[in-house]
Amino acid sequence: MLKYVGKRLVYMVGVFFVVSIIMFILFNNTPGDRALNQVQSLRGKVSDEQFQIRYQVARDKLGLDDPIPVRYIKWMGNLLQGDLGYSTFFKDDVIDVIGVPLKNTVIINIFATIVALAITIPLGIFCAVKKFSKFDNAVQVLTIVGYSVPIYIIGLVLIYFFSVQLGWFPISGMNSPNFQGSGFAAFMDRLHYLALPVIVMTVASLGGMTRYVRAAMIDALRMDYIRTARAKGLKEKVVIYSHAWRNALLSVVTLIISWFMSVFMGSIVVEQIFQLNGIGQMYYKGLMNQDFDVALAIQMLYCVITLISNLITDLSYGLVDPRVRIDK
Amino acid sequence: MQKDKNNGKKHSFSLRKRLFGGKKEALDVMQEEAIQSPMRTIVKNFVENKLSIGGLAVFLLMFLVVLIGPLFYPIQLSEKEETQLNIAPGMDMMKVPKELEGNVRMISTGSTFSVGVDNNGKVYVWGRTKISNKIDIEKDMPSQEELGEVVAVSAGFDHAMALNTDGEVVCWGSNRMSQTKAPSGIKRKKVKQIAAGYQVSFALTEGGEILHWGNDNLNDIRITRKKGDGNIDKIAVANTTLLAVTKDGEVVHMGSQPTDIASVPEDVGTVVDIAATADNGLVLLEDGSLRVWGKGRSEAMNLPQMDGKVVSIAGGRTHFTALTEDGKVYAWGSNNKGQTDVPSSAQNISAVYSGSYQNYAITESGKTVTWGLKGYLLGSDDLGRDVFSRLLNGGRMTMTIGAISVVISTIIGIIIGGVSGFFGGWVDILLQRITEIVSSLPFLPMAMILTSIIGNSMSENARIILMMAVLGFLSWPSLARLVRAQVLAEREKEFVTAATAMGVKKSSIVFKHIIPNVISVIIVSATLDFATCMLTESTLSFLGFGVKLPRPTWGNMLNGCVNSVVIKSYWWRWVFPAIMLSICVICINMVGDGLRDAIDPKSNER
Repeated sequence: MLKYVGKRLVYMVGVFFVVSIIMFILFNNTPGDRALNQVQSLRGKVSDEQFQIRYQVARDKLGLDDPIPVRYIKWMGNLLQGDLGYSTFFKDDVIDVIGVPLKNTVIINIFATIVALAITIPLGIFCAVKKFSKFDNAVQVLTIVGYSVPIYIIGLVLIYFFSVQLGWFPISGMNSPNFQGSGFAAFMDRLHYLALPVIVMTVASLGGMTRYVRAAMIDALRMDYIRTARAKGLKEKVVIYSHAWRNALLSVVTLIISWFMSVFMGSIVVEQIFQLNGIGQMYYKGLMNQDFDVALAIQMLYCVITLISNLITDLSYGLVDPRVRIDK
Repeated sequence: MQKDKNNGKKHSFSLRKRLFGGKKEALDVMQEEAIQSPMRTIVKNFVENKLSIGGLAVFLLMFLVVLIGPLFYPIQLSEKEETQLNIAPGMDMMKVPKELEGNVRMISTGSTFSVGVDNNGKVYVWGRTKISNKIDIEKDMPSQEELGEVVAVSAGFDHAMALNTDGEVVCWGSNRMSQTKAPSGIKRKKVKQIAAGYQVSFALTEGGEILHWGNDNLNDIRITRKKGDGNIDKIAVANTTLLAVTKDGEVVHMGSQPTDIASVPEDVGTVVDIAATADNGLVLLEDGSLRVWGKGRSEAMNLPQMDGKVVSIAGGRTHFTALTEDGKVYAWGSNNKGQTDVPSSAQNISAVYSGSYQNYAITESGKTVTWGLKGYLLGSDDLGRDVFSRLLNGGRMTMTIGAISVVISTIIGIIIGGVSGFFGGWVDILLQRITEIVSSLPFLPMAMILTSIIGNSMSENARIILMMAVLGFLSWPSLARLVRAQVLAEREKEFVTAATAMGVKKSSIVFKHIIPNVISVIIVSATLDFATCMLTESTLSFLGFGVKLPRPTWGNMLNGCVNSVVIKSYWWRWVFPAIMLSICVICINMVGDGLRDAIDPKSNER
């Protein structure tokens, strides 16, 4: 087991470097002169000669005249030491810029994951047990709709009903403007603003997850040991929750992990719709404003998240289901 | 062989039937497959699935509509029309009220609505009269008592005017620029003509004086005595300025800006009538000939050949109409909304009223013939563009990008999966690593970064090709894995051994012998990928990283719609693209699901 984890980790690091090289080359071939951007404000204030000197200093500082491999190694060295670069748009270190948004995104995602799981697991199990009943057929059609409709359309529809028609939730933002309260009041205010984004993310994921849980459960219910369990007279509840569900859990766990990670990417759209100060919004701003240090840092973060989620998924097979021996 | 088998079966069946009576027994999977090729079983299973067939039918219908539709509704990318913004869906812009029919004294068309008056002096309003949430020309219209007996009406951009027999001018509608506040002493001045423009109102008195009120900043009106004020006979409103004819039959421009329309023709003879579009002016001379001037590129400059003497002229926003003495109507100018398509029923016409994009012709028997813009089937957007035609064109773009990216990803997936499954060894290991690297790239952020970094310096067409390529190159790993697994299973079968023994080339074993056997899996995967690619494209376009405006796709039509005003008041701008995109993706997914069920007999639960 340990050997396998080690192998996977080494492999993961390899992929990380390959991806980082691709990303670095991509970002460094963008049009625009970053050194010029930095000293642009000085133009006209100092003499031309002075300006040229400042410009050259900026270029040297950014290392723009070095060959690409040297720059990559420098950048990677900084990255590994926690220096993610400097944001030209926010005029601050990237690490300070993305701290708060990252926290926000994680909070929203955890909320949405918990709510979605609380709905889909019981629903999926119920549909699998009552397979091909009217209820199940209706849910099946609804789930196709659920995973086909893009998240921003769900967002628009829910904004229309909950914000515009009913007026329950604000349309966008993180806090009431000029909100003064503290403690519990601030928490409630934040909750009020985050409710609709969380609902949208939850609704968007219901379709796919319900189908997945149902399929896993149907597969488990088809096994011979279920027939055995029923034959020896166990209660249906025990058969379903103890025998079948435990076996279905294997695929559900992988789903949960990969889904939790995919929510990070999906939240780009939700954060954009609701103007939430999250990591996706930050990524969007970074790309839009040509603030490439921010975008590159977040892109690498996404890559790391995907790699880790792949690793956890593989490892969790073995943890949840002792039959799976991944080290072989 | 096959035939014999069938015959034998039939025979035994009929024997059994004779012995035990005709009870039909369901065939099990193996028997069925023996008499039916697997592909036919799949097709049969698929056809039996009503949901999938329904989805397929709807999808094909939508596909044909967006494929053929743009031919009939071509799109002009630079289109912008400030008088046609955010108009609600409906085709009733030219629906003349029944009471007015056969009894018309005058009709005037503003931007989206028309005002008419009958011979008894009663005023009617129709068309898209709702200017904003608060202003509705129809509801705000004063009662008939207040209006009195009306002799002339005029409709402007967002307000309307009426002149009654007492010489009173009544205005209603939007008063944001006080365009409905007629000067108090107007009654004494004996108004003979009224004209409503873009947030401005004009009245011409018997004495030849022009009164105007409303938005003077936007409108270019500098009325001076030098220009013949006090001596005016007729006026015509061009986009934001005014043209007039003096009592001596000369044309004057009432603005001070040196625009194209300001260069009025001089010394052409005696002018008897005048009309104007937004950029062009037209005068009718005493001898029945016409003179047009203004923006040179405009199609309204091309006077058509006309038989008979012209007796009256009228101007819409981009077109002119002329009526000859024998009752024939000619229309020319831009025909983007059908405003110059004079119907053949327009014979023996006694009067023509044109305005905006609408035309009303009154026949000698009093019947009203209309042509031009009826309305917008699905409304218009924030630049005055027809949502319906954008929906068709956008659909074509969305589906094209989705389809081509699927083709790219399927080809890559088949090649990589096939090669790595069949050859194994180091090729397999290498290709598997590449697959894993690509699949560990986060899809949406990666697509965003590629289109924004590489695509920034590209032309629009190159960007679209880039998007197809990016979507295709990012979405092949899952198919490659699937194909590899299938090929691994097929590789050990006898037909491959046979082919190898016969000395068939390895590459043709993979692509000509093995791949056709796993084609069903590929089709399912491609169908579901098609839906995913369409979704990703529209998400990217929605975020502003995909196809850029003004070129429409279903995604970027929703781009500017995430604010409360649009969501609430201009619902047609987001509801229709959202419905189309959702239905399309739902149908594709239903087809994909149905295919998967049809291919996998286990899921049929027999």
